[in-house]
Amino acid sequence: MTPLQFESLYEADWKRLEDMVQQCLARGRRGAARAPAVQGEQLAILYRRACEQLALARQRAYPPYLVERLERVTGDAHQLIYQRRQFGAAAFREFIARGFPRTVRQHRYYVLAASLLFLVPTLVLGVLIHQRPDLVLSVMDANTADMFEQMYSGDGESLGRRRDVNSDWAMFGYYIRNNVGVSFQCFAGGLFLGLGSIFYLVFNGAQAGAVAGYLTERGLGDTFYSFVVTHASFELTAIVLSGAAGLRLGNGLLAPRRLTRRASLVKAAVEVAPMVYGFALMLLIAAAIEGFWSSATWLPGVVRYSVAAACWAGVLSYFIWQGRRAD
Amino acid sequence: MRRGALDTLIEAETPEGISLELRPAGLPARFFAFLLDWAIRIAVIVAAAQISALMGGIGTAVWIISLFVLEWLYPVAFELGRAGATPGKSAMGLRVVMDSGLPVTPAASLTRNLLRVADFLPLMYGFGIISMLLRKDFKRLGDLVAGTMVVHRPRAVARASLPEVEAVAPAIGIGLTEQAAIVALASRASRMTGERLDELAALAAPVVGQPGDSGAVVTRRVLGVARWLMGQRK
Repeated sequence: MTPLQFESLYEADWKRLEDMVQQCLARGRRGAARAPAVQGEQLAILYRRACEQLALARQRAYPPYLVERLERVTGDAHQLIYQRRQFGAAAFREFIARGFPRTVRQHRYYVLAASLLFLVPTLVLGVLIHQRPDLVLSVMDANTADMFEQMYSGDGESLGRRRDVNSDWAMFGYYIRNNVGVSFQCFAGGLFLGLGSIFYLVFNGAQAGAVAGYLTERGLGDTFYSFVVTHASFELTAIVLSGAAGLRLGNGLLAPRRLTRRASLVKAAVEVAPMVYGFALMLLIAAAIEGFWSSATWLPGVVRYSVAAACWAGVLSYFIWQGRRAD
Repeated sequence: MRRGALDTLIEAETPEGISLELRPAGLPARFFAFLLDWAIRIAVIVAAAQISALMGGIGTAVWIISLFVLEWLYPVAFELGRAGATPGKSAMGLRVVMDSGLPVTPAASLTRNLLRVADFLPLMYGFGIISMLLRKDFKRLGDLVAGTMVVHRPRAVARASLPEVEAVAPAIGIGLTEQAAIVALASRASRMTGERLDELAALAAPVVGQPGDSGAVVTRRVLGVARWLMGQRK
């Protein structure tokens, strides 16, 4: 068969396929993706035919314009057909009920390591600075220390806030941006053989410990702890999980076992992906609590500490027990 | 195989058993795409600042949250759309695909965009740029981990028209690659000078027989053979 015969024989099919692809793309742009069922079936049939014809055209060394046209239309249809469009509620429920806690448990040694990397500096600096408050200047400059002191002293109006932002909503936004930034650094730092994750975990742990130790020593402990303890259940856990995910990436690079380093890294990223979704979600919750609940200083301390205890118990038991059945 | 070792083409096989040719996009195209996206984001941020200034406390929150969304989720949202690319990449004719040539998955898109942090280090996307320049498939670190690639969207190819000459049957049996070469030469004929065309056509002289001839006569006959091969055999 000559190229021209070939072309005229299948021209109609190719044209229809090209039109269908164009139509689908245009629909997607307008947001109304209501392609009739028949069309999808037709698209698949035409696509498979075009694939066969492309293989033939290549085999018979048909002229480039013909092969390239087929490559283009099959390529576009391929993208369209294999696009994943299932972000449904079922997948989300599955993720919350099983996917996330299981992934965390599978990586329990990483989580443990990340917890230690974060908590040990927190405790050490906390105790040290409680004993010798001037050491706080070795972790942060005088202005920052002063800012923290002002944030947690005086009237309840400005508690835990930067003074230039003045509403619950505004602080909600600020916390999201700040905390998510910290967590993403902990995660992405894993790419540098895990050293970045270690650095950010230790650094943020040290900062937290320094602030806590300093404020306790200044006698502001009660205001500080009653403010942070509730959202810390989500926030600190999320930071530790992001660090753990980063450490997993780092270990993928350092110890690839029988894979190439790159394949091992990709495998690690696929494995920790649920953890990444999960900690992003937790940071959102933490920011909401921090913005709207923690600042409600008019509530009696008993209520606030009880809610905090419930949050901590809830978060920890979620990761320990949720989704163990029905494997 | 069809195009030489100079090209940075990458083959990905589909479940239908054909291989898609992916053409990874290099630093300049991606840089301009990034600039465009950056400009779009700045415009949105400025607009959001104007609007939020009217709304007081909640306005500040809206503004800060939109900063966050633009910073982290803008690329993810667009890459998961049908175009598979942010507006900037779309404008440059690029799209993000998996290594297998499949559309990018949510997990991969999130991974490659969160790891921008690593690419950005030590400053101005330093590691990302180094990685792109060193690799044949121009991946930045985020792409490496997520298993994704930024590729050029295939462009429409104009239908070739062969020069109007009398069709001539080849004098000897010729293989598929030679046939393809002759047809490719004929379809480029209108874009070459006469001398260069003669030069190239002379290489195919054995196909048309008649050893005595040279120059334009041979060219005419080679073009005729191309017509014959294409199936225009009046």
